[in-house]
Amino acid sequence: MNGARWLVEALSAEKVDTLFGYPGGAIMPFYDALYGCPLKHVLVRHEQGAAFAANGYARASGRVGVCIATSGPGATNLVTGIADAMLDSVPMVVITGQVATTLMGTDAFQEVDVFGMTLPVVKHSFIPRSVDQLPEVVREAFRLARSGRPGPVLIDLPKDVQLAAAAHLPAHVPAPVDPNPPATNVDLVTALELLSKARRPVIYGGGGIALGDAVAEFRTFVESVQVPTVLTLRGLGALPDAHPLNLGMLGMHGTRAANMAVQEADLLVVVGARFDDRATGRLDQFAPIAKVIHLDVDPAEFNKLRHCEAVLHGELQHSLNQLATAMPECSAWRSTCQSRKRQYAARYDAPTATVYAPALLRRLSELAPAAVVSCDVGQHQMWVAQHWGFNDPRKHLTSGGLGAMGFGLPAAIGAQMADPQAQVFCVSGDGSFLMNVQELATLMRYRLPVKIVLLDNQRLGMVRQWQELFFEHRYSETDLSDNPDFVAVAAAFGIQAFALSRADDCEAALQRLIAAPGPALLHVSIDAHANVWPLVPPNHNNAQMLHESTAPRAIPGANAAAAVASHASPAQAGVTHVHATPPHSPQPENAHALPD
Amino acid sequence: MRYQIDLVMRRAEGALARVIGTAERRGFQTVGVDGGLQPDGEHWHLRMNVEGQRCGEGLQAQLYKLHDCLAVEVSPWR
Repeated sequence: MNGARWLVEALSAEKVDTLFGYPGGAIMPFYDALYGCPLKHVLVRHEQGAAFAANGYARASGRVGVCIATSGPGATNLVTGIADAMLDSVPMVVITGQVATTLMGTDAFQEVDVFGMTLPVVKHSFIPRSVDQLPEVVREAFRLARSGRPGPVLIDLPKDVQLAAAAHLPAHVPAPVDPNPPATNVDLVTALELLSKARRPVIYGGGGIALGDAVAEFRTFVESVQVPTVLTLRGLGALPDAHPLNLGMLGMHGTRAANMAVQEADLLVVVGARFDDRATGRLDQFAPIAKVIHLDVDPAEFNKLRHCEAVLHGELQHSLNQLATAMPECSAWRSTCQSRKRQYAARYDAPTATVYAPALLRRLSELAPAAVVSCDVGQHQMWVAQHWGFNDPRKHLTSGGLGAMGFGLPAAIGAQMADPQAQVFCVSGDGSFLMNVQELATLMRYRLPVKIVLLDNQRLGMVRQWQELFFEHRYSETDLSDNPDFVAVAAAFGIQAFALSRADDCEAALQRLIAAPGPALLHVSIDAHANVWPLVPPNHNNAQMLHESTAPRAIPGANAAAAVASHASPAQAGVTHVHATPPHSPQPENAHALPD
Repeated sequence: MRYQIDLVMRRAEGALARVIGTAERRGFQTVGVDGGLQPDGEHWHLRMNVEGQRCGEGLQAQLYKLHDCLAVEVSPWR
């Protein structure tokens, strides 16, 4: 029994069933200990894939995701995935090999200070310099990853510690998760009074609802108080998409109904959300007349960006159950919000020859309502958020805080490993997909039936959109028209793939994709000029939404950001009317453009 | 604003770097640091002086989240 063998047994004791990793010199003792053991190790083809796969596993399952790499480049390749877990509060334990303690600090081969390098992007980290430290380190690593606001914990494991005799160490006993305290009665009384007196309240739910296992309590709360609700990107699914009180996503690419409601609200009940800038837009004009009740497990979020009149620190379930007894009188307000939701609902019925990505995604969500969807980052990510009807936040895997391209495919692999029976889709873009395309080999190695929808506009679409709108059409380095033949690429990995380019063929292509046994890729050619609407320009408030019919992109050199002016309504609600310029093309992209 | 931060921390690898790094990343410049091991040999008492435009309560909350920080008090620097 050496340290590595002890660690493998400790992982089993922590109920880890799957590891994602890639071997190398300094982690070889651990890989030797893995040989023949019952833990399932998923061999990825790049360490970033391991970090994102563990990340996706954790997001989908709620369990701790574990990934492993060697020292030096193996460790540095994990860093993006660790940062992603930190920003989105994903429980992970990351194990890196390190050169022997006698060599640390000597610039040894493949020595890098990953402990120091990751200090800002981990919840905590350890370097056990003696095998005797292993029990405490492993116990604390898993406890910290799971407790309170979850996050990634790094264990940088020197090679000599892995090789040291460990027979004398006790068998590993996992530590219990720290219970979150219930909110105090004083806070609850204040919050109940605020909610009961509100006339235009809005509930603003975020990713903390799922992290806190409080989805059921959140839904009960919304039902009880009958308050219009908006959700962040990572909160989507906390309330079913079709729920009459669900106004959709708020923020930069949020719905008009959601943004208008927030801007006019006299009270925000913020549940497991953190006033992220993509949600708030210009912060000093966000919900300008609202008081705030903030529920969160992390006290550092209170008053960080927005003053709160009441803070409910602690277990969300308890706070939500207590708040559910409030009876705000807001029927007129509720009707207004619901009327706007109907009035400004997305439409998918414009005749078009080319594939309209939002309509394709909406249809796929109808065909596979229980699927797990893993996204990459960019326009397609926002289209998924806007048009996929999520009913469970753990079925929407998206890199929200970090916005890491390359997340989608490995995260889908992790989700599929977490639940082999789940229907898992990866929705990606041509830019993002090539960032971790090597994981097609992992998909094939384990015959994972992940279905990939690759939306290809031959551009870095979101950057291109901003260049069009805010950088005077100066398309600097966003042309990807020299993309490879993605169908051939998939085929080279042994994955069946087929192409879709016409709207008329969408239904058949989606049916074929769903029915395909094993992994499959659908390559979808979309309009290079398609944009994500609505859009709140940077440094503007959420009432200042641009829509395709109002964006000035038909004017060469126009600067939308400069042209936007605040709407004159007292509550700063409504969209900005820039110029009645003709849209770029008369039909396909306008299908969901909203009337002014 | 200038603040004085009094911390009690575990004597652990990386603890000092975490504290100073957190203060800097959260918008504060470190003006002075003083401290040392407590008599038990297992804890540090650290006193930092920082300046920044953000509120001290926020920094205190961020520092308190650090696993190695056992006690944190942020007060106006006199």
